[in-house]
Amino acid sequence: MSLEGKLALVTGGGRGIGKAIALKLASQGADVIVNFFRHRDTAQETAGEIEALGVKAETVRANVGDPAKIDEMFDTISTKFGRLDIFISNAASGVGRPITELDVKAWEWTMDINARALLLCSQRAAKLMSGRGGKIVSISSLGSSFVLPNYTLVGVSKAALEALTRYLAIEFASQNICVNAVAASAVETEALKFYFKEGMAQEGHHLTPAGRMVAPEDVANVVSFLCSEEALMIRGQTIVVDGGTSVGLLALAGKGG
Amino acid sequence: MTVEEQIRDIVARITRVDKSIITRESTFKDIKADSLDVVQALVAVEELFEIEIPDEEAQNFQNFGDFVSYVENKVAQTEKV
Repeated sequence: MSLEGKLALVTGGGRGIGKAIALKLASQGADVIVNFFRHRDTAQETAGEIEALGVKAETVRANVGDPAKIDEMFDTISTKFGRLDIFISNAASGVGRPITELDVKAWEWTMDINARALLLCSQRAAKLMSGRGGKIVSISSLGSSFVLPNYTLVGVSKAALEALTRYLAIEFASQNICVNAVAASAVETEALKFYFKEGMAQEGHHLTPAGRMVAPEDVANVVSFLCSEEALMIRGQTIVVDGGTSVGLLALAGKGG
Repeated sequence: MTVEEQIRDIVARITRVDKSIITRESTFKDIKADSLDVVQALVAVEELFEIEIPDEEAQNFQNFGDFVSYVENKVAQTEKV
């Protein structure tokens, strides 16, 4: 098990992609701190599943859109463990509306949670990784590079997240902290249902050359690799996990007519 | 100020409606609160009263009165402990 003895923090780790990542890291031997905000029950269930894999699990509540709550969360981790090896910036939120209906409140909410949290959490995480090195992986989406319906705010926040990932990778490189992003296409989770209602899943199958939608575990597998020593020379990259959707767009368009 | 008045102030501030139109029977739709308004109101109320309102519970609120009753109960429980 390649991550034995490591301590990981996964924001939004209670459900969806974050849960799959938390479980994957745990299966590799890492102890996992599951951050959650609105869903304590699911976070505690996930912690139970992590412990069943024979490693330690903790849950910590924090709204990563709030700098004071980020500080509280890292103060807790600092006091309790005094270290961190892996930080996964996965928690995300957003407002899915047409551009004409976007306001400052929606912009700030989305950017604070999806982009600023990576900056503030990475600053604190790097201190806990000081002298030991570490891995930081941020979770992005294809909406950072491609236009999806009513996805403006989230897409823009994910573009910021990917750019920040590059800057973090270079500035932290000398501290032996590897920073990368994983960008997934639509993944079948509760969040997807929340944003796009029904229909998206079916469309997702049709648009994926690999023949099925990306599953949370597909994303988790790549995150786990980026957290391993095998990925040491990958820095500041955004690895796309989309079953070929983005590079296959023109081929699919041709097939359609 | 009662719990109800404090929550009404928060909801009115976030949704930018006049607080006089928010009654216990008002639904979030009545006061034109979108999903972000609702989450922000929940978060503000959680912080003010130092309680936690999981989404699983909040989804059951049919109107402003349900929200207030839930918080009143939670605050009473906290005070007992």
